[in-house]
Amino acid sequence: MDALYLIKIGEIRLKEGNRTEFEQRLKHDLKRRLSSIHSEVRHRDGRYYLTVAEEHAGLAEFVLARTPGVNGWARAVMTSKDIDAVRAAVLEAAAAVVARGAATFKVEARRSDKSFPLSSYEIASGLGADILERFPSLRVDVRAPEATLYVEIREKAYVYTDGYPGVRGLPIGSGGRGLLLLSGGIDSPVAGYRMLCRGLSLESLYFHAYPYTSREAWEKVRDLAATLASFSGGMTLHTASFTDVQLRIKKDAPAEKTTLYLRACMMIAADMVAKARGLNAIVSGESLGQVASQTAENMRFTGSFTDHAILRPLVGTDKEDTIRTARAIGSYELSILPYEDCCVLFSPKHPILKADFAAEREAFEALGLREAVAESVATMETLEVPFSPELPRAGAAR
Amino acid sequence: MHYLDWAATAPPYRDILEAAVGVATERYGNPSSRHGAGRDARALLESARERLGAAIGAAPSSVVFTSGGSEADAIALLSTLVGKGERSVVISELEHPAVYEQARALESLGVRVVRVRPERDGVVSPGRVAEALRPDTAVVAVMAVSNETGAIQPIGRIVEAVRSAAGPRRPFVHCDAVQALGTIGFDARALGVDGAAFSAHKLGGPRGVGALYLSRPISPLVLGGGQEGGMRPGTHNTAGAWAFAEAAARAAASVEARMERARALERRLFDGLRAIPGATPLPEGRLPGDERYSPYIACLSFPGLAGETMTRLLDEAGVAISTGSACSSSKKERRSLDAMGVDRELSFSSIRVSSGRDTSEADIDAFLEAASSAYIRFRV
Repeated sequence: MDALYLIKIGEIRLKEGNRTEFEQRLKHDLKRRLSSIHSEVRHRDGRYYLTVAEEHAGLAEFVLARTPGVNGWARAVMTSKDIDAVRAAVLEAAAAVVARGAATFKVEARRSDKSFPLSSYEIASGLGADILERFPSLRVDVRAPEATLYVEIREKAYVYTDGYPGVRGLPIGSGGRGLLLLSGGIDSPVAGYRMLCRGLSLESLYFHAYPYTSREAWEKVRDLAATLASFSGGMTLHTASFTDVQLRIKKDAPAEKTTLYLRACMMIAADMVAKARGLNAIVSGESLGQVASQTAENMRFTGSFTDHAILRPLVGTDKEDTIRTARAIGSYELSILPYEDCCVLFSPKHPILKADFAAEREAFEALGLREAVAESVATMETLEVPFSPELPRAGAAR
Repeated sequence: MHYLDWAATAPPYRDILEAAVGVATERYGNPSSRHGAGRDARALLESARERLGAAIGAAPSSVVFTSGGSEADAIALLSTLVGKGERSVVISELEHPAVYEQARALESLGVRVVRVRPERDGVVSPGRVAEALRPDTAVVAVMAVSNETGAIQPIGRIVEAVRSAAGPRRPFVHCDAVQALGTIGFDARALGVDGAAFSAHKLGGPRGVGALYLSRPISPLVLGGGQEGGMRPGTHNTAGAWAFAEAAARAAASVEARMERARALERRLFDGLRAIPGATPLPEGRLPGDERYSPYIACLSFPGLAGETMTRLLDEAGVAISTGSACSSSKKERRSLDAMGVDRELSFSSIRVSSGRDTSEADIDAFLEAASSAYIRFRV
């Protein structure tokens, strides 16, 4: 038997100009994530229908819950446009509703095929009566039912109950391509997720400083990239070694400015990677005032090292809300693993809070760090992290 | 690989572990069973108890087999919760997490915990322990050898100080002797402790076996089938107990012979360290041959290079060491070094080098060479 899913799309519908392109992207995204199995995605009257073999229902649901552009989805049953067949499907769906403990319900019917002999109202009330007769414990509540059974008469008849929410937003790639500055912290994976859901396709850039940071720290970032890949359908992870850059900064820069200059070097590297890879935007997990380097003055300074758009989706977000999202997308437990991205020996005790723009630009350039940054980008390693329904788990490797 | 992490675990005696498989498969009876197989296993268990007792200076009746050192510590500390009335516990700031974290748990259950700081040399003063006693002190716990610095604690004098300072309710004096047995040796009767914890794997025995020395019965918190005189319920690990006793007897028999060698290796290590500018032992000023420290454990600091980074670089060079207590190395704080008043930069940059029965001069030399070159190259 096949598993049939009815997919609801959201914002795509609003973007009239690009609608076809968006719809193609979404269809392509679903198919690509399901490329390991046989699947069928049909698109009709603003609705998507996904069909997979029953044994792949788990994978299909994993994909539907994580593909941007999908507003919501429900497991549906398709029948012929015959009221007896529809009734049988509705009664089966009602049995499942009773089994999960719901006490009230309503039937919502929609008839886009006007040749069907019953009106929407007649379908709904007739089937409602059938359900009440079969399941006397259920009651009808049209205002706030615990379960809603939907019947849609289209080219075929579809029956489904309350669905599940998707991640919403826009299909990947419809918003262009960007480079995520990914660290092992809590914020940057969430920032990446936010932008993915706005349709930005992403590559990631991580700076490591071996031996001051560990192999485990890099593996944690790789696992975070894999978590994001479950939403984006795959993730390119670039790793640039910043050991020499950090040592140079530590040696030549005043202690209180080391973090600021390190951020500037990261932005220079990101700018180079973005240009080389044809990416239009740089995504950062910065949140205003969260740490010393994330003041408006310091963001102006670091931001001045690129002419790409810098997207900071968390800039006005409270940490608690970021953590909530991190938990929801499955990155939180990885992010809190105790492998640091930066050895504390490189972190100043009292970092500068408000960079004097002109003075710091001059002082930074005088250090001549650009060559070391270019070297780190030139020797950067790139890993393609594939989409996988097996999410990395914190603690699995420890 | 040059293995210098013996305080974390010792490579097992292969012959003993192999023989233990035979014991486990052939003498499989439950020592609590009243049939031939049970009696046979019981006899084996009791002879293991006798052998282990001889190795730790205890009558066989004072030996309780456990699942390891941590459980032995827990049985002693958790007895505080049994019975009525207010209780307090006195521990040193140096204690292994098996004692320290257990005491914290007791604290959350309403037991008052007094923590005694060591002196700057990492040794706990008996007088300070005596001063910390209260009329309701039920347990005093001080470890025999610090697993981080190797400082040998004056357990005998602490027992005396507690005895003469305590009121009519004499506290139970417990000693985590996990790092002492098989290295500097431990004699429970001579030291006069009431309880002591031991672990088999630290001296070449198997994992998952330990022992609790008890001069007198206590009231255990965890109850069950009444095994081990009711002190540690659960079906006996006969083969594990046998292997532990074998390993402990073998290690105890050679304590003195190996000590001279350990002192020589310690001297080699410290002499080599002096040749690395900036590097220092912790506590600063520790010299080889100092009787206050176990020659098997040394805490060394390389300021400007995080202990974690040094551990990683040495690992790459084929030298295995650890940052402080292997069990708590992920924490940035160095509790016992902090308590000794060690500067944070020094403690952050510290590592632990620990040797054992197979350690050679070549191991020490390999460490010194790798540490020296890593330090010169990566110090910031």
